Amino acid sequence: MTAQLRAELLKQRSTRTTLWLFSAMLGLVVLAILLHGFGLSAGILGRRSSQLAVLGQGQRLGTLFAALLGAVSITVEFRHGTIRPTFLATPRRGRVVAAKVGVSMLIGIAFGLMATAIAAVVGSTSLAARGLAIRLDAGDYALLLAGSAAGAGLWAAIGVGLGAVVRNQVPAVVGICTWLLFVEGLLFGDIGLSNVGRFLPGSLARAATGQDPLMLLAPSLAVPLLALYAAAAAAAGWAATTRRDVA
Amino acid sequence: MAAAGPMTGSQRRYPVVSARSLTKRYGRVTAVEDLTFSLNSGTVTGFLGPNGAGKSTTLRLLLGLAQPTAGDALVFGRRYRDLEEPMTKVGAVLESNDFHPGRSGRDHLRTLALAAGIPWPRVEEVLEFVQLAKAADRRVGTYSLGMRQRLGLAGALLGDPELLILDEPANGLDPAGVHWLRTFMRRFADRGETVLIASHVLAEVAQTADRVLIILGGRLVAAGALDELAGRSGTLENAYLELTATEAS
Repeated sequence: MTAQLRAELLKQRSTRTTLWLFSAMLGLVVLAILLHGFGLSAGILGRRSSQLAVLGQGQRLGTLFAALLGAVSITVEFRHGTIRPTFLATPRRGRVVAAKVGVSMLIGIAFGLMATAIAAVVGSTSLAARGLAIRLDAGDYALLLAGSAAGAGLWAAIGVGLGAVVRNQVPAVVGICTWLLFVEGLLFGDIGLSNVGRFLPGSLARAATGQDPLMLLAPSLAVPLLALYAAAAAAAGWAATTRRDVA
Repeated sequence: MAAAGPMTGSQRRYPVVSARSLTKRYGRVTAVEDLTFSLNSGTVTGFLGPNGAGKSTTLRLLLGLAQPTAGDALVFGRRYRDLEEPMTKVGAVLESNDFHPGRSGRDHLRTLALAAGIPWPRVEEVLEFVQLAKAADRRVGTYSLGMRQRLGLAGALLGDPELLILDEPANGLDPAGVHWLRTFMRRFADRGETVLIASHVLAEVAQTADRVLIILGGRLVAAGALDELAGRSGTLENAYLELTATEAS
């Protein structure tokens, strides 16, 4: 199993995909924070909940890109055919899926931490530049970072599972983007199904950072629930990969 | 050239490759039907048949990439996935372009070596052997088809296997490359190892193989020594055309 983990780590390091995803994520975090930090009125931005929500943009983007990284880690092998040599080297395919889950979670955690760290730095600088008092304490920052790391790490596993089931890169990537950016928002906000919406995996990742305690679950409940989603997705990916033929 | 090669060190009780009543169906389509054959060590076997005859499916069944609907596909007496260290027993190249275009040739081989527990110095050996050492740090996307074929072969040779399974390996090679490949396969077999090479280039097989398997519509229509088979009809091409025409009508 160590052998497969090391192989998967080298796969991640030896193409530019990871770096590209990481750069795109950081660029979008900076853009999102600056737009909120300078676009919103001083009255709104003065509130603690607003400041938390703005810095939470880091978590949203960290989660999204971690999920994409996880999905691409397996769909790219089907796309370029490297899945054949991969399975010839490791015919016990469950190990390949497990190693991809492990490595993607590790990088996902790093994505979540970095996205929120950059969001915190840019966000607090923006507030200071506008002369607004920062109403977040060390505990808030710690929860933002820890929750973002947990959410992104677990979503990376969901990405691997989904990618292993779908196999095709474009539908997997489009599926993740539409789910996180559109579908959950639709269920949660627009038609007000918050009783259902807060149990969905995107909301759970957001809840992990301590956002919106009236609508979302507490982090201590959200993280274990999200872990269940991740375990289910990884198990589905494992089952699909071990059972289905490779052309 | 058709003489059987010497036995390898261990006296085997099983053939290197064996298919027993091997059948694969995809929905209503039967890709391989009741295929039975076996290969012994020290031989180069040409696996012939028209496009869609079931050659590639058979190779995938032998390599555990696809599951048989019925029957067995065994290498060294076991299913591929039950081999302890498969790359040290079997090396295979199924497609000519199974690489990430953004990864260097060396890193491609290193990922496989890591997964299979093969030390990295071996990567440099096989790169040298297939004459890709100078291009090893370039991204595979910049490689010619011939270079990709050789990189694929390098991957198959990483574990110093006893059996090579190659699907259309001469595709894209220039005449010097084809000559190099043929010489390599001959030496490999003369050392007591085994080669199964699927091809539709009859001339290539006629110059390299000791034995021939011909399949058509997923069924085995001929198997035997190249000399015998070609002898009956004059040339391998005549034999092949007769066999595949008879069955098709």
